[in-house]
Amino acid sequence: MERQEQLQGIGCSRKRKEDPRFIQGKGLYVDDVKLPGMLCGEVVRSPFAHAKIVSINKEKALALPGVHAVITAEDLKPLGLHWMPTLAGDTQAVLADEKVCFQMQEVAMVIADDRYIAADAAELVEVEYEQLPALVDPHKAMDADAPIIREDLVGKDEAGQGKRTHNNHIFTWDVGDKDATDRAFESAEVTVREDILNPRVHPSPMETCGCVASFDKVNGSLTVHITSQAPHIVRTVVTLLSGIPESKVRIISPDIGGGFGNKVGIYPGYVCAIVSSIVLGRPVKWIESRIENISTTAFARDYHGVGELAADKDGRITALRFHALADHGAFNAHAQPTKWPAGLFSICTGSYDIPVAYARVDGVYTNKAPGGVAYRCSFRVTEAVYLIERMIDVLAQKLDIDKAEIRRRNFIQADQFPYQSALGWEYDSGNYAPALEKVLEACDYEGLRKEQTEKRANGELMGIGLCTFTEIVGAGPSKACDVLGVGMFDSCEIRVHPTGSAIARMGTITQGQGHETTYAQIIATELGLSSDDIQIEEGDTDTAPYGLGTYGSRSTPVGGAATAMAARTIRAKAQKIAAHLLEVSPEDIEWDVDRFHVKGNPDAVKTMKEVAWAAYNNVPEGMEMGLESVNYYDPPNFTYPFGIYLCVVDIDRHTGETSIRRFYALDDCGNRINPMIIEGQIHGGLNEAFAVAMGQLISFDEEGNLQGNTLMDYFIPTFVETPHWETDYTVTPSPHHPLGAKGVAESPHVGGIPCFSNAVVDAFAHKGVTHVDMPHTAFNVWKTIHELGLDS
Amino acid sequence: MAKTQVSFNLNGQDVDVLVEPRELLIHVLREQLQLTGSHIGCETSHCGACTVDVNGQSIKSCTMLAIQAQGATVMTVEGLAAGGELHPLQQAFMDEHGLQCGFCTPGMLVRGYRFLQENPNPSEEEIRSGMAGNLCRCTGYQNIIKSIQTAAAALNADTGSQAE
Amino acid sequence: MQVTINKVFPLDGSVSDAWNLLENIEQVASCMPGAEITETVDENNFKGSVKVKIGPMHVAFNGDIAVQEINPGEHRVHLIAKGQDSKGTSSASMDLTASVRAGESGASELTGDADVTVNGKLANFGGRMMTQVADQILGQFADNFSSRLGASAGSEDPAQTASEPEPQVQEINGLKFAWQALIGFIKSFFTSKA
Repeated sequence: MERQEQLQGIGCSRKRKEDPRFIQGKGLYVDDVKLPGMLCGEVVRSPFAHAKIVSINKEKALALPGVHAVITAEDLKPLGLHWMPTLAGDTQAVLADEKVCFQMQEVAMVIADDRYIAADAAELVEVEYEQLPALVDPHKAMDADAPIIREDLVGKDEAGQGKRTHNNHIFTWDVGDKDATDRAFESAEVTVREDILNPRVHPSPMETCGCVASFDKVNGSLTVHITSQAPHIVRTVVTLLSGIPESKVRIISPDIGGGFGNKVGIYPGYVCAIVSSIVLGRPVKWIESRIENISTTAFARDYHGVGELAADKDGRITALRFHALADHGAFNAHAQPTKWPAGLFSICTGSYDIPVAYARVDGVYTNKAPGGVAYRCSFRVTEAVYLIERMIDVLAQKLDIDKAEIRRRNFIQADQFPYQSALGWEYDSGNYAPALEKVLEACDYEGLRKEQTEKRANGELMGIGLCTFTEIVGAGPSKACDVLGVGMFDSCEIRVHPTGSAIARMGTITQGQGHETTYAQIIATELGLSSDDIQIEEGDTDTAPYGLGTYGSRSTPVGGAATAMAARTIRAKAQKIAAHLLEVSPEDIEWDVDRFHVKGNPDAVKTMKEVAWAAYNNVPEGMEMGLESVNYYDPPNFTYPFGIYLCVVDIDRHTGETSIRRFYALDDCGNRINPMIIEGQIHGGLNEAFAVAMGQLISFDEEGNLQGNTLMDYFIPTFVETPHWETDYTVTPSPHHPLGAKGVAESPHVGGIPCFSNAVVDAFAHKGVTHVDMPHTAFNVWKTIHELGLDS
Repeated sequence: MAKTQVSFNLNGQDVDVLVEPRELLIHVLREQLQLTGSHIGCETSHCGACTVDVNGQSIKSCTMLAIQAQGATVMTVEGLAAGGELHPLQQAFMDEHGLQCGFCTPGMLVRGYRFLQENPNPSEEEIRSGMAGNLCRCTGYQNIIKSIQTAAAALNADTGSQAE
Repeated sequence: MQVTINKVFPLDGSVSDAWNLLENIEQVASCMPGAEITETVDENNFKGSVKVKIGPMHVAFNGDIAVQEINPGEHRVHLIAKGQDSKGTSSASMDLTASVRAGESGASELTGDADVTVNGKLANFGGRMMTQVADQILGQFADNFSSRLGASAGSEDPAQTASEPEPQVQEINGLKFAWQALIGFIKSFFTSKA
């Protein structure tokens, strides 16, 4: 037991190994990289949402001392780099080619000695525009007279994701048995329908996107420090775009100041910096400002949904029909596994045993920034979970069934796992009902409902929100998931040094999740070496094995599994070496925390440290020296973490201010590697859920002008607004994951958002309100109050 | 542009720099003086990632010109640990898991350092309002609050033991 | 973004004096704070400029003013002004119908109905203050118009009026407007409560 504790392995809330550098200001983020002769890039952006570029005059900018170049689409054309492929099979203008399609679109990049000169010069680039009518409302995108956004696609009946039927149409994707679903609706005792919006928001990590590109003309090699959640994919894309062999492209994701989906894509700023460095032969840094970040790189959501449920009169759901109109902006640059135009939206049957379902998503172009990233969630899972978790409340209200009770009646039962969902997923494990009871008891749900009844009698507004969600994370099985043709496996390479410490390198990349700690803990337990002595490295494509990166909660499900598998290969070899040292056959050896001993003889022992030493000087005949292994793990399935959340809100009926009285989050992510880190991830995810539900919105006026793209307007909760979080857990291991673990960091965001919304709507349920769209700002809530006449 | 010489005390050492009048303190700290602990997270002074301590006050160094630092005493996160020992706040952030991606952490620490001198025994409410100028996206703030409480207790125990 | 403004301002002079001023587009333009006519293209078309400063933003618009209608019978002018700033970062247009009519107490009234559209940076950063700023601009315009009218009405000799020095073209200062807008907002709050 003591030996076990010394390892600080799986299950231990050990302190994070990465923290010492961060608390002393010694992290290395992209903007901290300073190379000799480095120049600075600044992007000239479109002020208009839709306009023809009449002319670009660079002369004044080029005349400014310290300016080295001003590049435009014209300059990129001869290189074939004025357009680039997106992860979604579309193409995107690197620099605007003859026209701009969204406000703040990249029109030119100025390269200068420093950021001040670059900013001055950007102001001197004169661009003449001829404004065109802007298309802002996605519901009008497919109107006959809608302005055409993508002239480059006119006449093409395909934009990478299936057939198009209109110039502004990108794709139509559907899944499920439509006829059977329609029949179930026709014969249903009860049906409900609601328009439900997941508004356009932005992940806004504290660090914005940027890169330092450095091309070595002598060696023909390119090194790019970049804020990327997927450095290996960046390397492949850079090679495909530039023709530089992958062996001469080195992508380094150093410390990353938060990602949340914002740093999965490949942005025009990166490409311009790389091209500039190649052309000028000097390192070029490009770092976006916060305004540029919110305006251009990677919005999320913008799903205009319609939810429908059919049920019997006891509230048992008999069919589900969901539709979403997806506003993808001017280029289809959403970050999903390539074959999934609507991501994993089909997880929308949730935690419920729904016999038949049909889901459809239509993607359209508008004059807005491209993106559609998974903001702290697996691909489009927030949108799906929001729909089902809102709709089940709508159904409960229609039938006057308690919102906890209706969930009980519809849950997939523990003995149904592995469960085949109507939309084609195989849920690996789950145990929803006991978890729900645990939360209801912890929060005295009965008591809360009683209190609510009393408050309502006094005209006070109190809401109780429940959310009982299932996520789908850990993309993913390569038979189902790829990015640009590369299967979504992940990897780990472990080397045990002669003196018994180790280094491991992975294809994932931490952005605050604590990989340097949790992966070390996995190896510690598997190999019996202290996690203090295990060094984790990620993000450098020259040293790390190829991997698909960190997003969609895939690090533990895929990278963590690869780590365990690599470690197990090493242990198997170590066992043979130990047997050789102890002069018995390997089958007669037993593993015991950090050592091997001969079965039935606990004193005949070789510790892993002793075996490591022997691996470099005394191995069995015919065995290779060394103690290392690499594993590329292709998961057999996704993992399906779940959670039961409860939120209590009190709403001021005069101001519309919503105060979060209580937020209780029970998560089940299977076996837990570092409970301290898990809890931290849940706090953070809940806070981002709070941000989305209560305040975040990227809005536009009728001409496509962004309304609020600074932190003055865009809501990032401070210490003051943020509620107190209570966390809890159950453990239902994943049967197919080597450690029984599932992903966790995104669950709180996915489950938190509907929970807040359900609480706010619940406060008005007695007045017949079934749905109000996010964000639930004081003003929006006040509007509901005022419409209902509750403020008088 | 003509440069001006600016002299100030930075983390206990006198420094002289030549700056353009328009240069912001954060850029001079990060790019000339190579102290990259303080970060840039926005340009509207909302995020607090660039917080440094100037003459005993928390200052967002993205909204202060370097020339305004003439004669000032400036402390950044790099100056927090004294004589190789972590400051109790640094230790507490590590112990209570008060950081994740680490980007906001230097600003949080420098603000927390000043805040605990302004209010050595803060309630949770007081921490929430006293730290509200610093944004974090990762932690949900709860463990930062715990870290500051833990640090306050450690600092108070220190002063207590010195008084004895 | 677009805002629609409908305003009525009381004037000191008579309807006919006010109309004499209103139908003179150059005179009218010079009542607009920060604006001036830089070129007369023909009877109905002018080139002009407007300088606006909102917080840190300095925008100088150059544009065209096209008179759509001058209706002496109804004392009404209709004009459309469109412009882009020299750096190409913002654009603005205004569709304005202004008229004079008899006021309640024998004097006259100036009515203005305008659709103002701004795009680009000005819409991003000035968006939330557009209505208030436009209100203030029109308010100042009406003040200038009224005092110009007072000056010309009080003088028997039209030549004398003409020889008066032109008022200095002033920049519209958005910060000042913001302050006035804030006061206006606070006032409206109390009025609506009362």
